[in-house]
Amino acid sequence: MHDDTPTGDAAGHDGDHMDIADYLAKGGVLTSPANVPPRYRGELLRLMASFVDSQLAGSAGFADTINDAPGIVARISAARITLEKADHAGRVLEIMGEFGADTDRYARHHPWAARLSRDADLGAARAGADMRLSVFHYPLQGWVDAVVMNLLMGQASVVQMSELSRLSYAPLAEVFRSIAPRESRHAELAVAGVRAILTGESGGGTLADVRESLEYWQPRVAMTFGKSGSDRFDRLARLGLRHRTNDELAQDWRDRMTAVLAGLNLT
Amino acid sequence: MARFFPLTVTDIRPETRDAVAVTLQPRAEDAEAFKFVQGQYLTFRRDFDGEELRRSYSVCAGLDDGILQVGIKRVDGGAFSTWANEQLKVGDVLDAMPPMGRFHAPLDPASERHYLGFAGGSGITPLLSIIKTVLTREPKARFTLVYANRQISSIMFRETIEDLKSTFVQRLSVIHVLESEAQDIDLFTGRVDAQKMDALFEHWIDAGDVDLAFICGPEPMMLTIAQSLRDHGLDHTRIKFELFASGQPGRATKKAVSIDAARAGAQTEATVIIDGSSRSFKMPKEGQSLLDAALASDIDAPFACKAGVCSTCRAKVLEGEAEMAVNHALEDYEVRQGYVLTCQCMPLTDKIVVSYDA
Repeated sequence: MHDDTPTGDAAGHDGDHMDIADYLAKGGVLTSPANVPPRYRGELLRLMASFVDSQLAGSAGFADTINDAPGIVARISAARITLEKADHAGRVLEIMGEFGADTDRYARHHPWAARLSRDADLGAARAGADMRLSVFHYPLQGWVDAVVMNLLMGQASVVQMSELSRLSYAPLAEVFRSIAPRESRHAELAVAGVRAILTGESGGGTLADVRESLEYWQPRVAMTFGKSGSDRFDRLARLGLRHRTNDELAQDWRDRMTAVLAGLNLT
Repeated sequence: MARFFPLTVTDIRPETRDAVAVTLQPRAEDAEAFKFVQGQYLTFRRDFDGEELRRSYSVCAGLDDGILQVGIKRVDGGAFSTWANEQLKVGDVLDAMPPMGRFHAPLDPASERHYLGFAGGSGITPLLSIIKTVLTREPKARFTLVYANRQISSIMFRETIEDLKSTFVQRLSVIHVLESEAQDIDLFTGRVDAQKMDALFEHWIDAGDVDLAFICGPEPMMLTIAQSLRDHGLDHTRIKFELFASGQPGRATKKAVSIDAARAGAQTEATVIIDGSSRSFKMPKEGQSLLDAALASDIDAPFACKAGVCSTCRAKVLEGEAEMAVNHALEDYEVRQGYVLTCQCMPLTDKIVVSYDA
């Protein structure tokens, strides 16, 4: 399926190939490890590692909240999120494996449940020895805190999925498109979870607890969109690995949160 | 980790002057590993003058053909494809990895989908597998193939496609577009560009009726057709791509080794090439990885796990020598070519040059 030389002629048209950088800048997609240039490979693997690490860390963090859940429905929601986030990590890790990553070792190479202290000040910087988003370094404190974090992060994931589903490595974009509906579902479960807490239906906490957790998590989730005016964006955009800027994604998230919080009478 | 299995060549059939269809037989114990999905490819390896080359070729057989067959078009100067076209013979054994690739859609026997496929030259190989499979496994599905070639004599699988048209008279239609050969209808002569796509959609293909499109060919063709499909209402979730890229080198280059007289110095002069620019810095030979030293010098080198597992930080040693503490991600042939995981890499020589661009 691939050409055999730099002056290849796979399609039977002489001179019908173009520079891969041009191709990507024009919106072209790549389809296998064999047609990915070295720098693209590095950025793509880094992006995948960040997603996998965040999902594994998120899943590990949520695993503990299963036992904090105040009822059967809540337990099932927490268990389902724990399960599916690990599954999402596995699907992307499989693509990393096609690039040579040792997937078994990768899944074991870090203690995903490890957290820093609640008042650590990480900003948007990566910390520790893995690539998880900084928000996943903060520990959850009980059921309400977990649900509120998921409420905020759920909408952030929906925004990230819309961005990742368009990236130029077609096999990965397809994985993200298959994951996106389930991430949306996790966001819906969080809305239902917060509503159940507020109505007293599920127990587990009060309006004041919800507000306190919102205040704690909101700025930390906002940081997941990265710095404003990041110079990495231009390079990633040229490779077709990014489309909307950090600021645009963050604004999209704020707009969604405004609507979600209004729906919960939390504004 | 990649694993290779021996496949025995059981048939070689010339398709055109410079393309062959090669039928392969795995060992009984490997049969399961070589069950493929329509549209997937096999990656082969072979030594040429002591250098290992790897090349991928798409399976052209359908799921119900009962054989494993790939199409290999000879490329001028291409070591592997030339060898396969000129020297490969029945009974030879080829090393191949199990089928890979996601150029397909899940099969649904109840489907009444209309598929639209675009193939450029040897880009027909995965599409042939897809066409045979969906028309067999989805008895109500239809397929329209637009197949671009330079001239009639360069059309791969021409007879196979004619046979398929007879078998699936109502459900398969094929439009041949020939670049340098006049046909009865002007529309079918020339290159597949935006105007031709518009005309095809105006006169021959109802874009609103298309459920899913497949494109397989070189870069410009992929761009032109994808854009046109989008313009005619098919968004990216309904377009499947398989790129026949020009980017990979024809011949593995020998590892460039120039071993400095290895003085027992504690410091190394390291040069890192990234995004076309090169930066130099001094680093200790022990206690710090090349990646960490580069990051400490504010070089934006790619990395993720820092544990020798993910291969994000892969770079090539252009000058000097280095050793890796652990390596769980690079294969022997990559190491022989000079690739290192920079997160695990300690310089052995007084000078080292590595490139993330190579």
